[in-house]
Amino acid sequence: MISFIKDGMHEAGIAQNILDIVLDTAEANNAHHVVKVYVKVGSMTAIEPDCLAFAYDALKEETIASGSTLIIDEVAASGVCNDCKNRCDYDGYIMTCSKCGSFNVELLSGEELQVTEIEVE
Amino acid sequence: MVKISANKNILSKNDEIALRLRKLFEEKKITVFNFVSSPGSGKTSILEKIVSPLKARFNVGVLIGDLQTDNDARRLRKCGADAFQINTGKGCHLDALGIEKALNNFQMDDLDILIIENVGNLVCPSGFDLGEDFKIVVISVTEGDDKPEKYPIMIRVSDVMIINKKDLLPYVNFNVEKCMHYAKNIKHNIQFFETSCVTGDGIDDIMHWISEKAQVKAE
Repeated sequence: MISFIKDGMHEAGIAQNILDIVLDTAEANNAHHVVKVYVKVGSMTAIEPDCLAFAYDALKEETIASGSTLIIDEVAASGVCNDCKNRCDYDGYIMTCSKCGSFNVELLSGEELQVTEIEVE
Repeated sequence: MVKISANKNILSKNDEIALRLRKLFEEKKITVFNFVSSPGSGKTSILEKIVSPLKARFNVGVLIGDLQTDNDARRLRKCGADAFQINTGKGCHLDALGIEKALNNFQMDDLDILIIENVGNLVCPSGFDLGEDFKIVVISVTEGDDKPEKYPIMIRVSDVMIINKKDLLPYVNFNVEKCMHYAKNIKHNIQFFETSCVTGDGIDDIMHWISEKAQVKAE
């Protein structure tokens, strides 16, 4: 099952790295069990939250994070227009300024991929 | 229960290796181009046309990804390229680890340009950084001018789009302006080239662009 996931899914590598960060952080703080893991996943990372959670759940077995839940904060894409300076959210991969319609925009959020905090006992 | 702050960026294992490759290419002053496309768009044919003239000025190495066979590597070697095949088996994309292992085929100190021809796939390669400087997406005119709209992730991570097989334009329903418009909507500063490996149209242009980019790093 694990090798199937590791071979088959892009999210598996990401999930493994999340688990590594979680275990390192827990160990550094002398924790015995990890209860919750908070991650930020930007919409432009092309990471499927369901696939990520599935992979994480498979990989966490037999670690001190085996009982933990992955809580995914999906961050929307937003940015600023280089032409009219308007800030707005972007829907999907076509990023246009909501004010002037320009495609010359700079992404300010939506590419995050990080473990923000963990809850332990 | 205790909350512990982590604030650690998650890089995929591939990204960690890609970072290492990027540093290596920087140190050895090698300019790296990653060619991506659907299967059959003409990546190998384009490379057959440009590798020989590039070799007149630069030391060029080529790595080609396919699930099976070394057909493409053999084609390119016939044109005088130092070309090596990476067979992925079931893998639908090249990854940084595969590239790192394949670099053993080259004298890195002598290499100026590394061209990577990715596995034919417009989806998965977009998520696997190979440490390249430029990603070039090839779309042929038989694939429909709305291709960029349907595969936005790949367009977004590409620097150049080559519209290939332009000699077939009289026989297909493909609007070049529309295709470019769709691509610019997703990546506003993407550069375009139109080529035909049959007539030779546009081949010089893409070759000069590659030469210019390689020259920058060499200096």
